[in-house]
Amino acid sequence: MDTLRLYRKSMAMLLKSQMQYPASFLMQTLAQLVMESGELMAVILLVDRFDHLNQWTAGNLYFFFGLMSMTFYLTECFARGITGAFSGMVRSGQLDTLLLRPRGVLTQVLCSAVDPRRITCIAVGAFSFGLGSRLSGVAWTAGKALIILESVFCGFWLIMGLFMIEAILCIHSVKSIELANALTYGGRSACEYPIDTFPRPLRLLFTVIAPFALVMHVPAAWVLGKPLFGWPGWTAAVTPTAGIILFGIMYLLFQRAMRFYRSTGS
Amino acid sequence: MMNRMRSFRTYGAIFRMRRRMETQYRGAVLGGVICQVFFGLVLIAVYRALYAGNPQHMALSAITTYVWLQQAFFRMLLASDPDLMEKIRTGAIAYDLCRPLSLYGYYYARILAQKWMGSLLRALPMILLAILLPPGWELAAPASWAAMGCAAAALLIGLCCVSAMENITMAFTMRTLDPRGVQAMMNLLMMTFSGNILPLTLFPDRWQRVITLMPYAQLLDAPIRLYTGEYALGEAGRILAIQAGWTVILIGIGAYLWRRNQRRLIIQGG
Repeated sequence: MDTLRLYRKSMAMLLKSQMQYPASFLMQTLAQLVMESGELMAVILLVDRFDHLNQWTAGNLYFFFGLMSMTFYLTECFARGITGAFSGMVRSGQLDTLLLRPRGVLTQVLCSAVDPRRITCIAVGAFSFGLGSRLSGVAWTAGKALIILESVFCGFWLIMGLFMIEAILCIHSVKSIELANALTYGGRSACEYPIDTFPRPLRLLFTVIAPFALVMHVPAAWVLGKPLFGWPGWTAAVTPTAGIILFGIMYLLFQRAMRFYRSTGS
Repeated sequence: MMNRMRSFRTYGAIFRMRRRMETQYRGAVLGGVICQVFFGLVLIAVYRALYAGNPQHMALSAITTYVWLQQAFFRMLLASDPDLMEKIRTGAIAYDLCRPLSLYGYYYARILAQKWMGSLLRALPMILLAILLPPGWELAAPASWAAMGCAAAALLIGLCCVSAMENITMAFTMRTLDPRGVQAMMNLLMMTFSGNILPLTLFPDRWQRVITLMPYAQLLDAPIRLYTGEYALGEAGRILAIQAGWTVILIGIGAYLWRRNQRRLIIQGG
């Protein structure tokens, strides 16, 4: 609980400092809006030309896109310390100062950065999600809403876990490893579309190794009334926990990697 | 006349120096290439699935080829000179002002070298890899040898054109201290209308008539369409002329903006 309070306090502090330059903040937030709208436009244009993707209608595709955008940018906003700032901390030796304080390293990293500019990306995601659910004629019930909330929550931990791979590699080799981007940003770009779009190797990658399919597509498909792979309804409630399991594994690996950490600073 | 010759030699030297610098970080290049290949595979998987349900008049192989060439020369589009931003922010740009050169030419040579070498280093391994992929995923052969030649020429003009565009962005950058917002917008325009996010050939047909005339389409879209035969050889002269026209116009605008900036420049720092 104490950790949570610390996190909330840091966030408030960081937000306040970011708001000191309102013009710059506004400009960058707008830029994010334009960027994410561009991504959505690509999906809209594709749907305009092709009409559908396998059994998924236009509305279904907006639904998947929205779920991914909301989850991904929520993570980028609130876990900025891991998703963006960490490699710089290792390279500059700033991480050393965290080792001196009586708190976990991961907690402090998470408390060190926030990225409120992403709010517009989240808004675009929410818009797409709403539009998708309207077009697909989803009849919302408490159960469905809960499943989606669970999916977003577990997705947050999943994406953070994937970014931690980069952090772990970074501790071992100092250089930021671009390869891990294939799982994080690559996963985002790919899994904006439902998993059955992809051939078997990619499907396995995004089900077993980076389980976006389990965390997002299984529950979303169930809510849309087109269960994936014909799996029964209860799986929609169970599979998203894969995200938390992945985070758990990455957390242990991260702790292990920290034992090998050697400072670059002087 | 002597003078002009000498200054061209100088820009040539700047170009060569920068080009050599680009080849220094080969490890980063490898990581970047693998990432780019992965993105290419994902995009093609999506287009294949879309095509399966709703075939188009445009062959699937033209789309896969388009995706691979876009991914291969992706580096050409990105803004490439973080040094300059730092220089403007810290005031170190004052040193560049002391050089007996036109600032526009100086930066143009640098940008051109970075884009040329940066994309060549990545494009060669990617093209090799993409050719070896199984049919339905691969980078197809050019429509003909003549088409290949035209595409290569168009790519070179495209490179000059994109460098001119970036130099204009730089000129705007000098007016604000925090250019990230403006740059993000410029990048988005670039990525969307050059066909990187979505092949321009998949945009609604009516839009394409306008979009292909815009400067963004001259960078990669025009060379790729010449390569795949989407533009017939008979049209090649017209396409190259449009490209060259835009390049000249953009260089003119850029040079003008830089001259004006130099007159009202305020150096930061002390």
